[in-house]
Amino acid sequence: MSELQRHFMYQPGLSRRDSLKIMGAIIAGTSLATMTGCSGADQIVSGRSAHWPDLTLEPITAKGYGTDPNLVIPPESPWPRTMTPEQLEATAILADIIVPAEGGFPSASKVNVPDVIDEWVSAPYSGQQRDRITILHFLAWINDEATLRFETPFLSLAQTQRMQIIDDIAFRDKVNEKVERPARAFSRLRSLVLSAYFCSREGWQDIGYKGNVAIAGDYPGPTEEANAHLNSALQALGLTAYAYTDA
Amino acid sequence: MTTHTHEVLVVGSGAGGAMAAYTLANEGHKVLMLEAGRNYDPKTETPMFKRNSDAPLMGAGNKDKNFGFYDATVDGGWQVPGEPYTQGSGSEWMWWRARMLGGRTNHWGRYSLRFSQHDFKGKTRDGLGADWPIDYEDLAPWYDKTEDIVGVCGTNTGLDDMPPSAEGVLMPPPKPRVPELLVAAAAKKLGIPAVPMHRAVLTRPKDDRAACFYATPCGHGCSIGAAFQTTTSLIPLAKKTGNLDVITDAMVKQVNVDERGKVTGVTYVDKNTSAEKSLTAKVVILAASACESARIMLNSKSKAHPKGVANSSGQIGRNLMDSTGAYLGALIPTLKNRPRYNEDGHTANHLFIPWWGHKQHEKGELDFPRGYHFEIGSGFGEPGAWVSGDLDGYGAPLKASVREHYGAYVGFALRGEMLPNKHSYMEIDDKVTDKWGIPVAKFHFQWAEHELKQVEHGLKTAKKILENMGAKVGELPPAEKAISRGGQIIHEVGTTRMGSSPKDSVTNQWGQTWDCNNLFVMDAGVFASNPHKNCTLTIMTLAMRNASWLSEQLNKGVI
Repeated sequence: MSELQRHFMYQPGLSRRDSLKIMGAIIAGTSLATMTGCSGADQIVSGRSAHWPDLTLEPITAKGYGTDPNLVIPPESPWPRTMTPEQLEATAILADIIVPAEGGFPSASKVNVPDVIDEWVSAPYSGQQRDRITILHFLAWINDEATLRFETPFLSLAQTQRMQIIDDIAFRDKVNEKVERPARAFSRLRSLVLSAYFCSREGWQDIGYKGNVAIAGDYPGPTEEANAHLNSALQALGLTAYAYTDA
Repeated sequence: MTTHTHEVLVVGSGAGGAMAAYTLANEGHKVLMLEAGRNYDPKTETPMFKRNSDAPLMGAGNKDKNFGFYDATVDGGWQVPGEPYTQGSGSEWMWWRARMLGGRTNHWGRYSLRFSQHDFKGKTRDGLGADWPIDYEDLAPWYDKTEDIVGVCGTNTGLDDMPPSAEGVLMPPPKPRVPELLVAAAAKKLGIPAVPMHRAVLTRPKDDRAACFYATPCGHGCSIGAAFQTTTSLIPLAKKTGNLDVITDAMVKQVNVDERGKVTGVTYVDKNTSAEKSLTAKVVILAASACESARIMLNSKSKAHPKGVANSSGQIGRNLMDSTGAYLGALIPTLKNRPRYNEDGHTANHLFIPWWGHKQHEKGELDFPRGYHFEIGSGFGEPGAWVSGDLDGYGAPLKASVREHYGAYVGFALRGEMLPNKHSYMEIDDKVTDKWGIPVAKFHFQWAEHELKQVEHGLKTAKKILENMGAKVGELPPAEKAISRGGQIIHEVGTTRMGSSPKDSVTNQWGQTWDCNNLFVMDAGVFASNPHKNCTLTIMTLAMRNASWLSEQLNKGVI
């Protein structure tokens, strides 16, 4: 599959999540007609006015995994997933902007981050339901913003056009008052994407988590390199005289 | 003369119940244990080496699993389905329960600090709360025996807040890790020592339990038996004697008495059939947890015990205490981008900061009466559903920021002693019953000035240590905002306290109720005070001591 195709058709993961049924959850879809706070030709041409969609989301009615789930074989499909293919695709594009392939590590969509986000926003728990409202509105907003600025849906934008929008909302020092709300929502999505990425096997390597392996014998403690770093830190802080000793 | 299949009924299979059952079974007494939850086998049910990415929601907690998907707790947490509790107006109490064999020992923190001489006679020292009817010396040999069976790693530090274990009892502690070593130096500059934590984790094999292999959080349970839980130790050991039988899904509703008020047994609800069943025995031991045992007693009203069984003092449900809790953490710049290595260790504190202020208390230099300790939060933990860092932008610089901040935060969790107060108690709600038809507990709770002052002191101290580590710590929150909610630290004690007089306590020093010589309480309900040192080790130690005394009484025919 070419890089171009991947961007236009995110493939849900083949792991425990692949058997999940995709269900549409949006009653009122995303379109200019459903936007609030956006009117006037100037604003539409400039694409820089404050707007935020007003979606009516079908409630999540699935049950949770309960108070006694199997922990050894976690549920493969704890609840139906609710993102539409378009939402999943937009999530994949955004996830790969947040975590692109770099430094020899894969991009977020390559490690199925969009599936994790879909499972997250589809979960019947209050915290995830708040995130669902945030993220689905954000996905609608970015499509509206794309349409306002470029008269093209977000999924069909050129990457440089997408980045023009993202650059307006991704940096806390650059966010103006008109995009405060989408900037906050992007920030939440960014945290979830990072979490999901660093949870993956590749993410563990990337961040340098070296645990979850059995050690025979005593716990070895810090490596020589780690001890050297500690000693330099103690010195820099004037704490060398107070260094811990076993006695 | 009634004949019983079992001599002793034990209600509860957690720390107190399992130790009582183990002790009595070893002494040749026929014991029947009743557990309100389901059977549970850590050997087959523990999620060892599981990754957060294998769990729904990256393992994050929610209303079904409050401490995360992999937490060992079954059918419990802050709420148990179908078994509510209620609050008095203006009160906010959190009550953690588990409905499983082994109870909360399957997921507890395993911190196992002995109470010290200061902890048993607080009232004599400062006039507050209540003295215990025993001294440290009474418990010391039992602490040794308990630590030996449980398996505790740590060292004898020689500090006044940490009385020594007998030679050869403690197993070697794991080596400290970089952030802990930095904390130790930063605290020492203030004259505050950090020392190896005592933890109920084997670092050497014992019985058929393996030594820790330094992976998988103990809160998930431990299939190899390294982290102590009664389901891999006391209960199977007691069963091996042939003297212990266990019934699970048995929710005890009341203690039964004869017309003279003598305890004859218990009635329980079989959760599988909802049928009520009654059992008789010579002795009943309640170890259902402080508040559950008090609830059973208050629900056991009779002509002879109009206020609930063994409640002539009116003290059942009173003196409800939790530990104080507060947290202060910060980014430590010098820990940014530090060299990676495996910091899982035994998955909790290798070093901690015990209470250092006994001398200051003696000199009257502190404006709060009781002490606290700090547990240290730090390390290269397994990535989960939340990521730390200065998250801004996207792409390579964003990822670099996450890597830079990974393992660079240090926090201090304060755990302190609370004093009993008249606003903190539990009673029976006269309007609400659970799904089994049993009236539920209603909680009333308030912190007092003592606790707020202590938390204020703790926050200021934590700030100084963090600043010694080079952290920038902002303005501290007021103690009222920083202090945990009642019950949140899950150290609830005191509701059936022991004492020297039947007037102001429920049991004597043996956990034997003053009113009924064949009714005992062997959970944290009997604590006369709530020292900051985590209750489980002392629950087990008291249960072993008091079950041994009970065995003698049974052998002598006194009971």
